[in-house]
Amino acid sequence: MKPKQLIWLRRISQGFFLALFLLLLIQTRFPDAAYQEYSLAVTGEQDIRVGYPATFFFQLDPLIWLTSLLSGHVWIQGFFWAVAALLLTLFLGRFFCGFVCPLGTIHHMVGVVRPALKGKALIKANQKRGSQKIKYFLLVAVLVSALVGLNIVGILDPISLLFRSLALAVFPAVGNGIKAACDVIAASDIKPFNLLGYAAEEIASPIFGYGYPAFQTGWLIGALFLVILFLNRIRPRFWCRTLCPLGALFGVLSRFSMVRLEKKPEACTDCQKCALACQGAASPGPGVDWDSSECLLCFNCFARCPEDALTFRFRWFPAQNRGPDMGRRAVLAGLLAGVSIPFLGRLDGQIHKVSDPRLIRPPGAVEERDFLRLCQRCGLCMKVCPTNVINPALAEAGMAGFWTPTLTMTLGYCEYTCTLCGSVCPTGAIAEISGKEKVGRPIRIGSAYLDRGRCLPWSGNGPCIVCEEHCPTSPKAIYLRLDVQTRQDGAKVTVQLPYVDLKRCVGCGICENKCPVKGRPAIRVMAAGETRSVRNQILLDI
Amino acid sequence: MDDPITRREAIKKGLCLSGSLALACAAGWPVHAPSEAWALKKEEGFLIEGVGQAPGYSVQELTEKVFDAAGGMKRFVSKGDVVVVKPNISWARAPNLAASTNPEVLEAVIHLAFNAGAKKVRIADNTIHNAERCFALTGAGMVAKKTGADLIHPRSSLMRDMKMQGHRLDIWPVFVPLIEADKVINLPVAKVHGLCELTLGMKNWIGGVGGRRNALHQDIHQSIVDLARFFRPTVTLIDAIRIMVKNGPSGGSEADVAAMNRLILSNDAVAADARAAGLFHVAPASVGYMVLAEKQGLGSLDMSAVTLKEVIL
Repeated sequence: MKPKQLIWLRRISQGFFLALFLLLLIQTRFPDAAYQEYSLAVTGEQDIRVGYPATFFFQLDPLIWLTSLLSGHVWIQGFFWAVAALLLTLFLGRFFCGFVCPLGTIHHMVGVVRPALKGKALIKANQKRGSQKIKYFLLVAVLVSALVGLNIVGILDPISLLFRSLALAVFPAVGNGIKAACDVIAASDIKPFNLLGYAAEEIASPIFGYGYPAFQTGWLIGALFLVILFLNRIRPRFWCRTLCPLGALFGVLSRFSMVRLEKKPEACTDCQKCALACQGAASPGPGVDWDSSECLLCFNCFARCPEDALTFRFRWFPAQNRGPDMGRRAVLAGLLAGVSIPFLGRLDGQIHKVSDPRLIRPPGAVEERDFLRLCQRCGLCMKVCPTNVINPALAEAGMAGFWTPTLTMTLGYCEYTCTLCGSVCPTGAIAEISGKEKVGRPIRIGSAYLDRGRCLPWSGNGPCIVCEEHCPTSPKAIYLRLDVQTRQDGAKVTVQLPYVDLKRCVGCGICENKCPVKGRPAIRVMAAGETRSVRNQILLDI
Repeated sequence: MDDPITRREAIKKGLCLSGSLALACAAGWPVHAPSEAWALKKEEGFLIEGVGQAPGYSVQELTEKVFDAAGGMKRFVSKGDVVVVKPNISWARAPNLAASTNPEVLEAVIHLAFNAGAKKVRIADNTIHNAERCFALTGAGMVAKKTGADLIHPRSSLMRDMKMQGHRLDIWPVFVPLIEADKVINLPVAKVHGLCELTLGMKNWIGGVGGRRNALHQDIHQSIVDLARFFRPTVTLIDAIRIMVKNGPSGGSEADVAAMNRLILSNDAVAADARAAGLFHVAPASVGYMVLAEKQGLGSLDMSAVTLKEVIL
């Protein structure tokens, strides 16, 4: 194949996979088709599911497969995609980085659209440097940490990172802006504007979500994403070269790659055009060995070389390339960090504590220690949740559980028969359950407690019962008792006082969400009583 | 009309025209004008109760028969009307749990409205649970797809502050599609309720507003009456095919449901509610908002005030 064609093949592939990633991200939501299928609605026999393979990129990511296996001893669904990606890397090198990775594509685009460096500065920036070892350090650290019992790869894994950043920060930010504009236009008294506002909203809402979805710590996720993008101004594809643990994994495996860059030093005029265009700082120039473990397979050097001194060739016989320049210190430091991180993560005592009052895991979530071995902090469950209740934790789950999902009942509530979050979890940290199981077993995520001092009827401030009305279990976990209260002026009034039956409460949190006492609702849900934990029980018989 | 009309002629013609119009109006004006000359002509109240007794009767047919007994849907819907149907689809529950309006009734009503010449039929409810899940699980989404009615997604741009001039509610955000309709059909399901005993037709208007709805419970009866006065539907059809007899208003189990196989159609919102209360063996006079509604002139609790008809299938 001619080099120009290879470049176009790469661009088409990058565009395709980025578009696919965005499509799957947008479609990770309550499906449209569900409210047109009567069979789904009328019987409740079938659970509503996202109609797209939302976890495809997560199945394709070997780091997610490996860490789930090392840490949680689980073969995740669709792991053969990841195995295939690894096997292909043995033959083709880091094709994933150059042809598939959507985060890599975004970095590539940022660098091409707004190049920060030119000429000599760019050539210098594209020289291989010691800092590229950091990614091996990070790879070793996350793998060892997973083995020891804490899976933190999701913080750095490019697929998780991109999904989290787009779904929890970029899309809500853009969407809320559009939505606010639509609201302003729709509020106009001029009819055409009015209709325009509605129409724009109809188009924007399926993509960005109805209402104003927002996530706690979304600002932090967004800010870090911007920082990562801005790193491209220091060096092209800074993230891929220096930090990406997945890139490091592929780098290690590309040693035996059969796609090789062959140099003809005698033809080289030292024009440095290859170094100008190199995305991976993989030493394409003469005089040094090509670094297969750094090469992102962008084929730029091949296409730019005016003297045909560089050619990519496919060699059937296994020829060993230059090994990855990991550095003994990077590996040792990685080992040390990997062993330490799980223990450092326990320093705040959160793992050994029974639970944090604010930490409520999604329905179907496995026991906390297993959860931290499996959760990728990718944000799929948060994106798919129709009520926006699932949020990335800041401190609720302790240091070790940073950005893992927690339910914030003041932002949403868990719908009684909804099981979407478990159906999209790529590693099974939230098990896929059916609506029937959720209601019938039942699966409790916590239990509700009344704050009698704040509750309107209990505090003598009038009738209410909103919590009882919304309680979804049958019979209701919140029940009412009539009581006569004496008001300040001495008048007797009969009110209905709410009580919670802990045996029936599933902790869905709709009572907390709908309570008219704002700020700190008069009824609140805590994780106590959650079925996933043996230790976190209240009642003797359940 | 080849010659262009002069200004003088135009004025003359205009005066003639307005003069004769004024005369015509004066002639048509009743000599003994009623005290409220601009009040709408008081429509005669009717109440039709449809009962499906035959095993395996068609709900759609029952709905059609009930409307026929009232003079057909054409009595309520004119050609080119934008009709909004307000079902109760607030809870994301399957239809067999009777937490939401029966989709078969909803479908039949929409068909009737289209057949009567409606330009557009919209399904509008400001749901309590997530709207998309409500559309899916109650079957309303499927009905919309089947009939071609528009399913209105409740959202902030469709809530507008309006003056209600109620005894309790003054300015409150209202779900706009209900206001921008030519005709509104109230299509609630009959259920029990922890606070106001029953949720029927008038209570259904809680789903027509936004804002701090959960605070309305602090004076629920007057709030319901204020809303019922504000919305005043063209007609109310209470779905009592299945009713929720306990654990209301959300239910969640078939044990909470009783089959009544009834539909109650009335242009008197209070009479419709009062009639439906009978299905629960509740005396209308013991339900706060019904008593208030009658007192404040919204309709009649007394069945003798309306023309009663029964349709049996």
